[in-house]
Order: sequence, then C-alpha cells, then structure tokens
Amino acid sequence: MNYNNSEDQMKTAAEMKIGEKAIIEDIDNEHPSSHRLMEIGFTPGQEIELLNKSIFNDPISFSIRGTIIAIRKNEASSIII
Amino acid sequence: MTLQVTQNKIPLIAITGQPNSGKTTLFNQLSGKKFKTVNYPGSTVEYSISKILSKYSVNANILDSPGIISLIPSSPDEEISVNTLFEHPSHGTPDIITVTVDASQLSRHLYLVRQLINSGFKVVIVLTMLDLLHKKGLDISDKKLSEILKSPVVRVDSNSGKGVDVFLTTVNKLITDLQTSKEINSVIKYAPDNKENLLKSYIEIEEIEKDVIFPVNKSESNDKPDLNKINESLIVLNNRGTFQKPDEFTIKLDRIVLHKFWGLIIFFLTMLFMFTSVFYLAAPLMDIVNDSFSFLSDNASQILGNNWFGNLISQGVISGVGSVLVFLPQILILFLILGLLEDSGFLARGAMLIDKPLSKIGLNGKSFVPMLSGFACAIPAIMAARTITNRKERMLTIFIIPLMSCSARLPVYALLIAFLIPQEEAFTGGLILTLIYIFSIMSSVIIASIVNKFSGKLLGSKDDSSFILELPAYRKPKVSVAISNMFSNAKQYIFKAGPIILYLSMLLWILTYFPNYDPVVNESGKGEDEIVLMKNSERIATSYASEIGYFIEPVMKPLGMDWRVGVSLIATFAAREVFVSSLMLIFKVTDTGEDIQSTLLSAMRNATFENSDIKIFTTATTAGLIVFFVFALQCLSTVAIAKKETGGWRIPVLQIISFTAIAYIFAFITVNGLRFFGIN
Repeated sequence: MNYNNSEDQMKTAAEMKIGEKAIIEDIDNEHPSSHRLMEIGFTPGQEIELLNKSIFNDPISFSIRGTIIAIRKNEASSIII
Repeated sequence: MTLQVTQNKIPLIAITGQPNSGKTTLFNQLSGKKFKTVNYPGSTVEYSISKILSKYSVNANILDSPGIISLIPSSPDEEISVNTLFEHPSHGTPDIITVTVDASQLSRHLYLVRQLINSGFKVVIVLTMLDLLHKKGLDISDKKLSEILKSPVVRVDSNSGKGVDVFLTTVNKLITDLQTSKEINSVIKYAPDNKENLLKSYIEIEEIEKDVIFPVNKSESNDKPDLNKINESLIVLNNRGTFQKPDEFTIKLDRIVLHKFWGLIIFFLTMLFMFTSVFYLAAPLMDIVNDSFSFLSDNASQILGNNWFGNLISQGVISGVGSVLVFLPQILILFLILGLLEDSGFLARGAMLIDKPLSKIGLNGKSFVPMLSGFACAIPAIMAARTITNRKERMLTIFIIPLMSCSARLPVYALLIAFLIPQEEAFTGGLILTLIYIFSIMSSVIIASIVNKFSGKLLGSKDDSSFILELPAYRKPKVSVAISNMFSNAKQYIFKAGPIILYLSMLLWILTYFPNYDPVVNESGKGEDEIVLMKNSERIATSYASEIGYFIEPVMKPLGMDWRVGVSLIATFAAREVFVSSLMLIFKVTDTGEDIQSTLLSAMRNATFENSDIKIFTTATTAGLIVFFVFALQCLSTVAIAKKETGGWRIPVLQIISFTAIAYIFAFITVNGLRFFGIN
C-alpha cells in the first residue's frame, strides 16, 4: 500500500469525473493504443473534458479538439493528466 | 511510384479523409449513383470507383477509398487502405488526392493532410462541416490555409453541394498543369513513426489553426454586433493548444442519449424499432417475392411439363433465383435504417452504450446491431457486420451470428413444439419458444468467448481489442446518402453472394431430384395432384440425397432418428423452412387435406422405423431435433454470405463443422438424457 500522498502521484484520464477538465500531461508509450490516441489528438498540453460515461462507467467520452471521442477506460488509463 | 499524367490516361482522383469528414457525401455528389464497389484483391476492404458525372465535364476517375486517420496503419485493414492509396492494384497511383477536412475540428484533420502533402501528393483540401464551425461563432480563411499548405483549399457545403463547381474548376486546372508540365513527381510515404515527430507536427498544426480560424459576428442581419459572442470567442482563442469546442447542441443531447437510464431506454426503443421493421415490415415483401417466384415456377412447369427439364427450370433455376431475392427486402430495410442511424450520429452512441458487456466476450459495441439483426435473418446481419472496423471483432461477430435464432427457424420450432404440446396449451408452447431463444443466446455468448480465446488460430486474426470511436455531431441524416448506400449493399449481395447461393441450391436440387427423376408409382384410382405428390415422394426417397441419408443413418440412430429425417435435414440446407415441406415429402404425406400441419403431425406420430413398430418422433427425439436446430447451420445462403464477407472459405467451413458438431452433441445429450429419466 502506498501511503505517500505526494503531488507527483500519477492521475490518468480514466479517473476523471463527469464535467471534469484536465490538461494532458503525457501519454504512456507502453500502451498498445498510445500512438493512435496521439494521432487522433490526445497530445500533451491539450485540454480534455470528460463528458459522459456509458453504463457500467465504460467507455467514456471526452471533448477533444472540437469533437467528442469515446474510448474504453483501459485506453483512457494511458492518458496521464 | 511516380505521378505521370499523360494525354491518353484518364486522370485518377482519390478521395480520402478521416471518418465522418463528409468523404462519401462528396464522392456521391461527384459520381451520382453510378459507382462500382470492389474489394481489394484478397481482402474484405472495399473501394468505390466512378467517372465524374458528365454534367461536370471533367474527364477523370474518382476513387472513394476507406477513411483513414493517419498514414501509419494500426490494423491490417488500415494497412491495405493506406498502401493502396499510394499504389492502387488496378488503377495505379492517384494523380490528385482530395482530402475532406472537417473545419469544425481542423487540427485533428490537418494531421492526415500534412502527411499526404509531405509524401509528395498533389493535394486538394475540401473543407466540410462549415455550418458546424459557424454555429460555434467561428469561420476559416481558406485563402490563408491554402497559402500555408501550398495546396488548393475549397469549401463545399455537403447539404446543398455548393462549392462542388469550384472544386472541379480547381481539379481541372491541376490536371491541365500536370499534363503540360514535364516534371515527374514521385510519391514516397512520409510519416515518421515516433512520438517526437508526431507531437511536433501537432504543435505546427495548432499554429496553422490559430492563423486561419477567426471569430465572426454571428448576428450579421442584426444592427448591433453580438459583443458577448465575440468576446467569448476571443477568450478561447487565447488558450493554449487548440481552442475549438464540440458542438454545443450535441453535448446537450448526449446528456440524454448517453444517460444511464434514459439513454438505455432510447437505445432499446430504437433497436426495437429497427428489429421489428426488419422482422415485420419485410415479411409481406418477402411473401410477394416468394409468391411471384412460385407463380413463375408453377407456370414454367406447366408450360414445360412435369419432366426433368421442366423441373430444372421451375424448381432449380426459378426457385434458386427466388431464394436469392427473398432476402432482398430485409437487406434493403436494414441498411436504410442503419444508414440513417449512422448518418444522424446515433449509431456511434449506441455502440458506446453497449460496448462494455460485449467487450467481455471479445466483441465490440458495434457488434450489437448485426447480432440483433441475426434474430431476423443471418444474411443482412452478416452484411451489417462490415460497420465493425476491428477485423478480429468483425470476424467473431460474423462467426456467431448464425447462432442467433433467425426467423426461418420459427416454422420448424412451431411444428416441433406443436408435436410436443397439445394445441390447448398454447401458453406452454410460448414458454418453450422463449426458453429456446434464451438457450440460443446463452450458448452463443459461451461459444463467442471460447472462440475469442483461440481467435488467432480459429479466425486467422487477432487484432488488439480497442474502442476508439468519434461521436460525431448530431445532424439531420441525408436520405440520399442512406438510399445510395442501401442500393450499393443490395447490389453487392445480389451479384457477389447471389451466384454462390444459386449454384449451391442447384446442386441441392440435383441431389434431391436424381437419379430416379421419373419414378413409377401406382396411379390407379388417384387424382392428378395426388399422383404428382406421390411421384415427388418417390423421387426424393430414391434420390442421391436419400443415399446420403442412408449413409449417415448410423449417425442419426443415436439421436433416435432414421435416414428419412437425415434426408430432410440435408434438404433443409436450402433454407430452414424447407424442413417442414421435405418432411412431408419423405413421410409421404400425400393427403392434401385442409390442414397440412395436422396431417403432417399425424404422419409424424405414426411414423415408425422401417420394418419395426418403434416410433421415430417421440418427445425425446423431437426435443433433440429442436436442440439440433438451435445450433446447426442449416442454411446455404448464410454460408455464401459468410464466405463473401470474410473473404474466404475458412470461417464458413469452420462454422459448418463446429456448429453441426455442437448441434449433434447437444441433440444426443438431450435425447439420451430424456430417455435416461424415463421420458421417451
């Protein structure tokens, strides 16, 4: 168990709440979809907003670069905010 | 790969763009409805090709290649789309590439544009969705964008087609330039595959976006400019990164459509509407097709006589064509509704809502519509699976669709349930039917998850499962696009799957008709109709199919059935509903009484194994037969369409073998299990 509640603990887009906005910090290169996510516009510095969660809270949809894109939580977990 | 426009070659213009960028709409506007849809060799990826409509007087071919996000493919299908953009197998390298760009999300769409320009293509940029951009209080300077990208930029309004003429003038000028200039331009894929380059590219794109997008005064007609709106736009302009927001109306509507309760209600009502349309609206149309073909078939056999040639034409050819066309109403209705739902933006939301449970068994939210359609008919359902972009998920969906209890199984179930349950107990019959449906759904879920585990080996495809789907802005669907898409799908079905269905049903006809094509029966004291029926019975009882029936009898025995049921099962491959009529023939139900079903039922009750008085149809064997029909792939048309949509025989053959084996095993367990508990 990690008790260190420091600020540099990583948060990902998968943990965002509906209506929450965040600036993308980085994309985890290890994730198989990381390249595709960046290509469709999830790049560091970009602001995203979590708009909706589907039933079972997955997939989730983000406002990004003038459109809305739905991704699975698994993919969202590679977006570090 | 070189660009070389010579005088004698018709120039090729490829249209590409990201999904939802208005690519196909533009293609339809340029081509009219006269386009050819072809598969790339050895794959299921399709392209459409056409000449530009003569009214535009531009002599060029246009190619609608599949939408791509980037030149770096992330799946085998995308790889084909990208590679063929550079070197088309039958049309070579395009002379001009037209990219449709959604101006309301410019930065995302410029990414592909820059890759194409950097690769050396002559690129024409078509800006679409300008109405959405205006709704945000923004506009775009096409002139500036053109200067920065050093490529022509044209605005086209997809609703009115305004701007298409400017586009064509631009294209015409480019073609003339290419034809007169001596220089040979070469195309080399330029798409650096590393993160650093990708991010640098996006930073440059954001700079371009800031240069070309500007706020506008929306209330032009009013005297006073809307200061608030301008200020709002300016504030967002100063933000870092890109500043565009999604369509506001879409965000608001999504709160309902993707709501955990209301969203689900809307989704199920929509799906219910779609399903009932395919199921019930198509039924009268299918009856018309069936009736007109049996009318033709009757007439043909009357004119040609009841001989082998007359029967070949009437029962082989005419009925064969009828069995191809009978699926057309369902295909047309399903694809029209699907097209409208897709174009309105709803289908993507539906896929998102239902993705989670389906992802557990290796499927995708987009698998839902094809699977649901499978309860009406597997043929349109398997065709609808082409909306699934991920290859593995598409193959898996196609694989399990035949397990959905299609409408053709209903008459079979109805007959067999009627045999089990006395007519007074209609409620029990309904309950059994419901249980059959639940049983078939549960088994298909289990089978899907098993096949998913071995997807690499079984389906020959093991893409990573992922779900990245744009939820496009809601808009009024374009009926013309949906209709053109509907006809294109119907045409492909008739010309690609149709011949296979026809050949296979002819083969089946031969098996059930020869060698004893003119049997001798005792005609004394019989009416003419009765003699024909007796001949038909005798013919099938001595046909090649019956030989196969005898051959497989040892396999049928453990199920408590004899060769005659085997023959019926073989004949049923033409279509499941044929089971009832072939049972009648093989059990010599020649008494054409008022109520065929009760005549057949009593014939079944009295049927015994040859040279014994052991009954064939008992409670146990009938239940076993029902279970057999739940799993067995008793439909040649399904095999044909699965072959076409998966691009080979691997999956259909696998389906036949595995579903027949499962059907047999479960029927065996049912029959002998019931017998074990004393139910005979």
